[in-house]
Amino acid sequence: MSSVLAIDYMYVMFFIFGGLLTAFLPFVIAWLIRPKTVVTNRSHQTYECGIEPFNQMWDYRFGISYYLYALIFLAFDVDVLYLFPVVTVFDRVSAVRGVSEFFIFIGILSLAVIYAWTKGVFTWEKKKA
Amino acid sequence: MDTMQMTLYDVLRMVIAFLLVITIVFINALVMGYLERKVAAKIQRRWGPMEVGLQGWLQMVLDGVKIIAKQLIVPRDADRVVFRVAPLLSFTPVVLPFLVLPFAKNLVGRDINLGLIFIIAVSSINVLSIFVAGWASNNKYSLFGAVRSVSQNIAYEIPILLSLLSVVLITHTYSMQGIVAAQGTVWFCLVQPVACLIYLVSATAETNRAPFDLPEAESELTAGYHTEYSGFGFSLFMIAEYANMFIVCAVATVLFFGGWHGPFSGEYLGVLWFLLKVFLLMLTMIWVRWTYPRVRFDQLMNLAWKYLIPFSLVNLLLTALIVKCI
Repeated sequence: MSSVLAIDYMYVMFFIFGGLLTAFLPFVIAWLIRPKTVVTNRSHQTYECGIEPFNQMWDYRFGISYYLYALIFLAFDVDVLYLFPVVTVFDRVSAVRGVSEFFIFIGILSLAVIYAWTKGVFTWEKKKA
Repeated sequence: MDTMQMTLYDVLRMVIAFLLVITIVFINALVMGYLERKVAAKIQRRWGPMEVGLQGWLQMVLDGVKIIAKQLIVPRDADRVVFRVAPLLSFTPVVLPFLVLPFAKNLVGRDINLGLIFIIAVSSINVLSIFVAGWASNNKYSLFGAVRSVSQNIAYEIPILLSLLSVVLITHTYSMQGIVAAQGTVWFCLVQPVACLIYLVSATAETNRAPFDLPEAESELTAGYHTEYSGFGFSLFMIAEYANMFIVCAVATVLFFGGWHGPFSGEYLGVLWFLLKVFLLMLTMIWVRWTYPRVRFDQLMNLAWKYLIPFSLVNLLLTALIVKCI
């Protein structure tokens, strides 16, 4: 590993641990300077807009659409990552080859969105009463 | 021997860079908190904070002191360890992108040659912290806020990637300094107007700002993922949110608005131009927040998938074609 790269990594690691420490220090300060607090029986209740909390959060369901969006994202975003190295060396390939391969790749890539579109992922149906 | 000396110099530089970055993050949160309240007040024809200091400018400092002294409540039903880790997880990644932001020609933490990818990679950790916070709270509002936030963020990440890629197609480098240097004569917002517009819209959604602030829509979800947080735990989320605003605006400045370029921007004075552009963009985001009503969730998702992504794909293809034709 070259020394420039090593210093890059050193900076990144220092910033990660420094950031964690900076986020943690105010909690220590808060613990030192906080006034004496009163803890009642209801202080640690889950917030429920003023009524007694009922049921756990995992008793509730959310729409299947969220899951479908996550699936298209996986199909799409992972493929977009392949474009990252391509755009840096795009000036080194010949015009015909570069453009045609780019168009083929994007064309196949956009099939994911077109497929989801025709399958009706993007239309949210009204909840039936 | 030579490497040892270099290391000592680098350690010193690293520590100073880190302290400056932390200062920027905290001062940015103070300034933005004040500006947001003041601009919101002016738009709604109120006064905003007026009591402490001239025009109430000390209000945020006092609020900071007060919020540190507040009680840290961990709900009984919450997942205690994960609940405490989430604010730290949200603050730590927002420090990292400042490392590669080019404030001026000679004023950059470290010009990593993959700077742009580094920023994209690190800023997507923020979604994770929001989801962790929402899940660990064991609160219905928090969970729904977190679920919305995740699906919104992953949807808007793709147009961001594609619009940034169409700029990199012109510069052929991911180094932030390299991208700024490529805009000496003409800014990329004129070369790539569509990508610029798509990036700005997606950046607003990526930072969960209105009109896309569904994850913390207060009328339906009280406060979304940070409903259960009090004291400094809540404060860390707010600082991270404002720092994220700074980061997306700084990336927009670097990629589309010429970075530190401007009249009289020498080796170091470019930092003034950079900060001016970033703060103008952030003021625009505040302005947008108090102008437009919140959108519905399916409208939000379909704006990304039906409009932004196809348009940015076409824009990318056209860019590839034009770059090769010239």
